[in-house]
Amino acid sequence: MIPLVSLVDAVLHFLDPAVLARVLFDGLAKASIYVMIAAGLTLIFGLMGVLNFAHGSLTAIGAYLGGLVMVTFAASASGNVGRIALFFVAIVVVFALLTAFGGAMEVSLIRPLYDRPPLYQILLTFGITLVLEELLRMVLLFYDIQPSTDWLEAQGTRPEIISKTHDVFGLGVEGLEVFQILLGVAITAGVWIFLTRTRYGLYIRAGSEDGEMAQALGVNVHQAFTVVFGVGVGITGVAGALLMWDSAWAASIDLGAEVLLPAFVVVIVGGLGTFRGTVVAGVLVGFVDAFTTELFTSNIVGFSALPELFIFLILVGTLVLRPQGLFGVEEVGGH
Amino acid sequence: MAISEPTDAPDDGATDDVATDGGTATADSADVASETTTDEHYLVEYLREHVAHAFVVAFFGLYPFAHTFLTGSLVGAEMAMFLPRVQTMITVFYFGLFAMSFDFISGYTGYLSFGHSAFYGLGAYFVILVANGKVPLLGSGTPFMMLLLIAGILAVVMALVMGSVAFRLTGVYFAMITLGFAQILYVFFSNWDYLGSNPRDGIAVLGRQDGFSIGVPYVDSLNMSIGQLQGDTFTWGMDFAAITGIDALSPISHTIALGPGEVSYYMVGLVVLVCYFMLQRIIHSPFGRAMIAIRENEERARAVGYDTFRLKMGAFAISGFFGAVAGGLFTGYRTSVAPENSFYFLTAGDALLASIIGGFGTIAGPLFGRLFHEGLHEFLTKEGGGLLPYLRSHLGEGTLNTVILDGFTVSEAIEVFLNGRAGLYIGLLFVLFVLYVPNGLLGTLRGYLGGTVAGQVAAAVKRRVRGWKL
Repeated sequence: MIPLVSLVDAVLHFLDPAVLARVLFDGLAKASIYVMIAAGLTLIFGLMGVLNFAHGSLTAIGAYLGGLVMVTFAASASGNVGRIALFFVAIVVVFALLTAFGGAMEVSLIRPLYDRPPLYQILLTFGITLVLEELLRMVLLFYDIQPSTDWLEAQGTRPEIISKTHDVFGLGVEGLEVFQILLGVAITAGVWIFLTRTRYGLYIRAGSEDGEMAQALGVNVHQAFTVVFGVGVGITGVAGALLMWDSAWAASIDLGAEVLLPAFVVVIVGGLGTFRGTVVAGVLVGFVDAFTTELFTSNIVGFSALPELFIFLILVGTLVLRPQGLFGVEEVGGH
Repeated sequence: MAISEPTDAPDDGATDDVATDGGTATADSADVASETTTDEHYLVEYLREHVAHAFVVAFFGLYPFAHTFLTGSLVGAEMAMFLPRVQTMITVFYFGLFAMSFDFISGYTGYLSFGHSAFYGLGAYFVILVANGKVPLLGSGTPFMMLLLIAGILAVVMALVMGSVAFRLTGVYFAMITLGFAQILYVFFSNWDYLGSNPRDGIAVLGRQDGFSIGVPYVDSLNMSIGQLQGDTFTWGMDFAAITGIDALSPISHTIALGPGEVSYYMVGLVVLVCYFMLQRIIHSPFGRAMIAIRENEERARAVGYDTFRLKMGAFAISGFFGAVAGGLFTGYRTSVAPENSFYFLTAGDALLASIIGGFGTIAGPLFGRLFHEGLHEFLTKEGGGLLPYLRSHLGEGTLNTVILDGFTVSEAIEVFLNGRAGLYIGLLFVLFVLYVPNGLLGTLRGYLGGTVAGQVAAAVKRRVRGWKL
């Protein structure tokens, strides 16, 4: 579609070091976000094969809970250090609350469905997302917060160091993006340690490989399911709290739908039951997003929805060429 | 009326459809149908099998009259609160057809088509784009019935393309790849400038003066326009007293006047009824039985010699066809469409809700599921005489201003907990259905009767009424 001349122009545009550095940096920040929003989903999907449709609304709830902590105590924590410390407190609170909530959800609602066809779990979590979204909307309306627009009060609690653009070697670097990359790396490392260094991580890896065998060898799979579902939901909530500060996502009811589909794409592209695959897919999607965004913003392509379109093209392309996902194991792939 | 002429639904002017179809793999339904004695004419048997359908058709056919009568009666306020308006019922029809087409592939073969909104959106956009003269080779005056047919054929082509890729996958992955296709179309149609000046907000019919009409194409007198504004009106019978000016003739003067809403109701309902019978016929054919075999055990179906890939492709194509027809009816009536209410994946989610509540793996169930959804939705919104205006006018100022807790009054509580909160209650109900009533309304009824509803009604009629001869 693009004539050859402008194609050459486009290549030259990306060869400019400043542009290249910016695209790579944006890509890294976006990749962190995609990995974070998919991390909770992939834990649950990997072990239990449950594609959690309530993932998006749980992210939104995490964003609002995190925002609640920030807004409530923002006055008593000023300055860069104070605000960032408060943010970590908020993360811990969100993680604790949502882990408990996720565990309760697994025990009461999802457990009765394990002996049904796997599609019923999609149906159930789809129903849960409708209920959670409406409940959240009700609570927000009760406290006079506009549910469909971004919650600016929570965004306003960003410390100065994060909101401003820093000048590094002549390049403008947004503090928020640095923060996102650091947190993305930290959360990825945290989940990695959870998977490889803890008992439940071992159970998850064993269960993803061969659930029945793990059970036969004495793993209490029921308990593992509850813990993993809880932890997965907890991580999802933390991802929501991180998005609260980012004006491109921000806390709103719509955050649920905005997050849900990219998270699905990352998990499916990565492959069932591999956290490594999820990280690689997240990085891939992040860089493609940054690259296509640059194509539009520099007027090379006049189609504003290019990033969105490409995310789903990646999904379809992967499923056509490698249905089990980039790092998935073939036998586990089909349900 | 219903029993004597059950298959004459279109002539009844009735609408809609439904009742049940068969689809369970239980042997009973087949047995019931084949319980024939040789001394009966096959037509008798055929008519009897459709007694249940006739009742449902009669119900929907009489609904607008019943609605007018009941809302005008002594308990009119209460009736207006509970009964959906006629225009809401039109929504139930076309969206019910979409939910049926969704259930046709998802409920019968077990492949959850989460991107089914692609077909609905295709039909919806196609009708408007042709009417705006944006589709090459088709003039803006092309008859609506032709548009529905062409939209359906395009959907068949699209289904074959999508299916050739998607049916290499199963389970969650199938759901995800269809979702991916639908979202690509959604993004595309939200941003393509060719469609209209602001594609994100959707497009509307611009030039076309006459409404879209349903009937026999190219025969003017056999067509009726649908639409909220452009719909035809219809008067049947003669008012002798008014014509002749003789009051004494008033006892034999009867007219039935239908407004645009009622005409649209019957015409849309008629198309949905025809589509329902086609889907029902397919499900009861050997092809339909093979679809159920795929749901129950695909490997075994393949082992006994069915080419399951081609069967699935066929089922997907049929399902896509009716999905696009439903989309065409939607814009034919509404004359505008937005990406959010057509291509967006939550449109398929609504079809899923309707299917689960009405009965997953039944053809008529999704329509009842949608009726339930729309009914509850209207009950809990301000428009159309739902619960809120009723409470407001009946509770009185004192009650409404009573403080429950901390300055929170009853009227505020109504506003927060009831107004527009249908989504919450539908969601709760959906979760309860998935957990405790996985077969939905119709499926449970079928289990209770021990076979398909139509089959069981036919058997009951046969036991009671003997000796029909033709």
